[in-house]
Amino acid sequence: MKKYILKRIVTSVFTLLAILLILFILMQLMPGSPFNDEKLNNDQRAALYAKYGLNQPVIIQFFKYVFNMLRGDFGVSYNISKNTPIAQLIQSRLPISIAIGGAAVALGAFVGLILGVTAALWHDTVWDTVATIISVIGVSVPSYVFALALSYQFGFQWRLFPMLFSPQQMVASSVLPSISLSMFTMASIARFTRSEMLEVLGSDYMLLAESKGISGPALIFRHALRNALIPIITVLAPLIVDLMTGSLVVEKIFAIPGVGSLLVNAIQSNDYNVVIALSFIYSAMYIIIMLAVDILYGVIDPRIRLSKSEA
Amino acid sequence: MKRKLLALLMVSAMTVSLMGCGSAAATTAGSAGAAGSGASAGTAASGSTQAAASASDLNVMLETPVESLDPQQATDGTSFEIIADYTDGLMQMDADGKSVPAIAESYDVSDDGLTYTFHLRKDAKWSNGDPVTAGDFVFGWQRAVDPTVASEYAYMLSDIGQVKNAAEIIAGKEDKSKLGVTAVDDNTLKVELAAPVSYFASLMYFPTFYPVNEKFFNTCADTYGTSPETTLSDGAFVLDSYEPAATQFHLTKNADYYDASRVKLAGLNYQVIQDSQQALMSYQTGALDMTLVNGEQVDQVKDDPAFKAVGAGYLWYVSPNIAKVPELANLNIRMAMTMAIDRESIATGVLKDGSTPTFTAVPPQFATGPDGSDFSADQKKFADVCTFDATKAADYWKKGLTELGKSSITLNMTVDADDAPQKVAQVLKEEWEQELPGLTVNLVVEPKKQRVQDMQDGNFQLGLTRWGPDYADPMTYLGMWVTGNSNNYGLWSNKDFDSIIAECTTGDLAMDAQGRWTKLYDAEKLVMDNAVIFPIYTQCNAEMVSTSVTGVEFHPVALNRVYKDAVKSN
Amino acid sequence: MKKNAQTADMTAYVPTAADFCLKNNAGEIAIDNNFAAQSFWKEVFIRYFRKVSAVFGLVMIILISVMAVTGPGMNKYSYSEQNLLQKNLAPRVHALEKLGIFDGSENMHTTTGTKKINYYTENKLDNVYYWFGSDNFGRDIWTRTWSGARVSLIIAVAAAVIDMIIGMSYGLISGYFGGRVDMVMQRILEIVNGIPRLVIVTLLLLILKPGMVTIIIALMLTEWVGMSRIARAEMLKLKEQEFVLASRTLGAGSFFIIFREVLPNIIGPIITQVMFSIPTAIFTEAFLSFVGLGIPVPQCSLGSLISEGFNSFTTHPYQIVPPIIVMALLMLSFNLAADGLREALDPKLKEV
Repeated sequence: MKKYILKRIVTSVFTLLAILLILFILMQLMPGSPFNDEKLNNDQRAALYAKYGLNQPVIIQFFKYVFNMLRGDFGVSYNISKNTPIAQLIQSRLPISIAIGGAAVALGAFVGLILGVTAALWHDTVWDTVATIISVIGVSVPSYVFALALSYQFGFQWRLFPMLFSPQQMVASSVLPSISLSMFTMASIARFTRSEMLEVLGSDYMLLAESKGISGPALIFRHALRNALIPIITVLAPLIVDLMTGSLVVEKIFAIPGVGSLLVNAIQSNDYNVVIALSFIYSAMYIIIMLAVDILYGVIDPRIRLSKSEA
Repeated sequence: MKRKLLALLMVSAMTVSLMGCGSAAATTAGSAGAAGSGASAGTAASGSTQAAASASDLNVMLETPVESLDPQQATDGTSFEIIADYTDGLMQMDADGKSVPAIAESYDVSDDGLTYTFHLRKDAKWSNGDPVTAGDFVFGWQRAVDPTVASEYAYMLSDIGQVKNAAEIIAGKEDKSKLGVTAVDDNTLKVELAAPVSYFASLMYFPTFYPVNEKFFNTCADTYGTSPETTLSDGAFVLDSYEPAATQFHLTKNADYYDASRVKLAGLNYQVIQDSQQALMSYQTGALDMTLVNGEQVDQVKDDPAFKAVGAGYLWYVSPNIAKVPELANLNIRMAMTMAIDRESIATGVLKDGSTPTFTAVPPQFATGPDGSDFSADQKKFADVCTFDATKAADYWKKGLTELGKSSITLNMTVDADDAPQKVAQVLKEEWEQELPGLTVNLVVEPKKQRVQDMQDGNFQLGLTRWGPDYADPMTYLGMWVTGNSNNYGLWSNKDFDSIIAECTTGDLAMDAQGRWTKLYDAEKLVMDNAVIFPIYTQCNAEMVSTSVTGVEFHPVALNRVYKDAVKSN
Repeated sequence: MKKNAQTADMTAYVPTAADFCLKNNAGEIAIDNNFAAQSFWKEVFIRYFRKVSAVFGLVMIILISVMAVTGPGMNKYSYSEQNLLQKNLAPRVHALEKLGIFDGSENMHTTTGTKKINYYTENKLDNVYYWFGSDNFGRDIWTRTWSGARVSLIIAVAAAVIDMIIGMSYGLISGYFGGRVDMVMQRILEIVNGIPRLVIVTLLLLILKPGMVTIIIALMLTEWVGMSRIARAEMLKLKEQEFVLASRTLGAGSFFIIFREVLPNIIGPIITQVMFSIPTAIFTEAFLSFVGLGIPVPQCSLGSLISEGFNSFTTHPYQIVPPIIVMALLMLSFNLAADGLREALDPKLKEV
């Protein structure tokens, strides 16, 4: 087991390096340049390239970047906030994105679980269809429309929550964005819970539990839901990471200083360092979460542990 | 064993998800608190930014975040506006956009127009207590041309300001100490120009020419302008809460400002909102005093006394690639295209934000001549070559097609992926295809950076692009069509035009204001007669300014909004 | 004595009729639905059509597809034709206008108050009817909605099918060969998956010229990973089974086994996954439109219509309603149909 974990960690590090290299190559392929205003001429652009070392070969830029990164230096922004160190730029934004994303995932998972369990327990009835409709509507209305509708009704008409994010009212102003963001998680979790629950309910050990005389909530929660939950964690984990980058439209509408909108702005304005740093953080989080899930899974389920250590 | 593990896992998963939001919320609250206390460090009124905000603050909506607070690095209107809120240059803009003294009490110009001497006022102070000296300007200007700083707006000193040696320093041929600006003493600044520039004094309100306190700059080095602690104010306000690319930040009135009695506002509270509907709703709830609205919303607000259309200065035009596309090299084809455009309906029917249809190569309402008249007040002066006339357009079109020996033409038009340009482009396509039989226009929609690069590389056929004036003189537009200018995307070349422009910039006419003005008309006529560009409209911003707010000045050039005289009554 | 007799009664259990009935038998088991002589697909077919929601989904998909083909031709307008004199007109339908609905009037919420206006009567457009209203260029929203649905459907189905082919082959090969091949292929997958989709998709759309094909490629690039995971998992389950061994001993080559022996056995879950990935693709396309990387104007997709209508959400809300409803119905239908298909294909689930 230890050997397996160690092996996975080592491969993860190399995967991350490979991702970084690919990002560098992608940046080179990106049309346009960060210094592309109507008002710039070629000489000035050349001077700017020289200033930021962008005139060097990719491979040298790559090694320099990796070397600097190991010392905690992610470079500076070219456009979004000129010459600001990326670390400083991201530092205050990442926690906000994670907080709102986390709240959205928690909310979405909770509602999704309820919908999914409802649909599975009353499978093939009206409740099943209603739960499916709710979860699908949640995902088929784009989150920006949903966000604006929420903001219009709860923020503008009823004045229940602030319409714009503000650090002074962190909790109240996070409510509407979190709800709008939670829709996608809710739908995915509901769908997944439903199918997992159906499978568990039809399994032999549920029949055994039932024949042992267990019934009611104890049967559903202690026996069925528990077993259905394990695979759900694997779905939930990448959703958390996705929310970090997927939140940009909601960030735009609620004026949240998060990383999602930063990433899109960076891509559109060719701010290479910001794109690379944010993508890299995303990849790292993704890989770490997947690694953690794998290891946890191995610990829990001996069948997986065995097949993995064989491989 | 297995069961216990499961239970443990479930419990931990749940706590993680709960803690996830709990702890993250705590960290942000913490960091916000830290930022707040950082902002007020050193000032007596400690506490969070909230405490600094008061009811008499003006709440202003911004569309985009600040890109840079370094006056020599900033390039966008938002950044310029904020920098000018807390920094004064030698001159400032009055309500009509004319330059009036600020840090400079007065200035003298030598007879040949090549030497400017600015006399600085003695009571101007930086917010750290240092006096504002001529040396601060020398340092700031040298930074602007320093190749290691690589300022994007360095051309303001070289091409436009014609400051002596600026071009050589930017190119790396001279040391920055050779720049034609010297501090004679603490209160006298002497500027030498390579050629007379009639509008030089009006450049002085442009943030690229703002002073930088060298001593203070050296203590911040790389972090200059990234936080309230790394900025210094000599203007009407002081920045007291800010983070790079912040969506919310605040400025307080500068009690030590030399003209403090003039400033009525207690502070400025900026809020970046990228969605205009959200912005209007916030305005309606009273959270904002000023906001931009988009064209679609104008129907909602046009009867409101708070609604204003504010000139943004940008001229939007279509640039045909004359050099590389043989069809567009044909003058009749270009004439047909420019005459088939119904500019009126684009501006009033589609954009609706107050933008004005434009029929001249120099847009109206930014350049005033020696006699005080607007250079482009008469929009009908080129009516024979630039107006909406379907029959004439069709005639030109037929003639052009015969000359080319073709019956149909397909052209691509490169367009920004933003809202307004895409709207305009769709109408242009429809109008052209309707009026000019045989023409097919395909729209190539690209992010702005890429569109600009494509046009600079000559990799386009038609391009919808814009130009904002850098200074209040027609030259900021006409100078672009000189042979070899990097903004002359269509590579049009005309010897007569080049010689007029040369005469007006560095030649005999440079000092003769009236003669120069008439010659510039001739130059504009050449551009229009040859359909070098198809001007479409001059951009306006539809703005809501609460009726309780008065005295905010709007300008199409350099500083879009100035708040020094603004008053907010409650 | 009496007491004793009673306890004796309690201990000596007398079976009742209920003990010989199956639990949870709602009368279904008594009916033989097995049609033993019928083929697997016929059985799937019957199971599918027994489920109301699945049938509803299928009917809606067919209905929307038919409308997507015929809808744009049902009135005189074309999707790109502009009429700036007839812009922002509210929906107006012939018969319904007499009932006081869809009569072309709308409530305008201005900052100075709400007023009811009818541009048709104001501008004397007596014989003009826009069933879904017109947009801010004076284009017919009915026509645009259905041609948008067409574009969205084409993009989604094409992307789903292509990503099925690529993802399936990748997963099957990786799962079948296992060992080092699997290791390398899975690391590649991890790298691809590790780069944020947004980055890959936007870069791709920037490098290639915008258009339908580019969007299909972009969607395909990000969706095939999920497909390959499922194919690989199924392969790992099946490859140790006897029929694979039998085929191998008979001298079948690897690719024969993968595509001719294993593939037919996993086609069910694969088709289900394709059905699920279609709504995902529709949704991703809508997102791309919002970021400004969607289908180039004046063409439209459901996503680009929604993001266009979004700008008029508070002024002319009717402009965003038709594309949103069509998109929601489409996604709901695909999900219901996919759910139904999965349950029809999976014999384990049907017994619940």
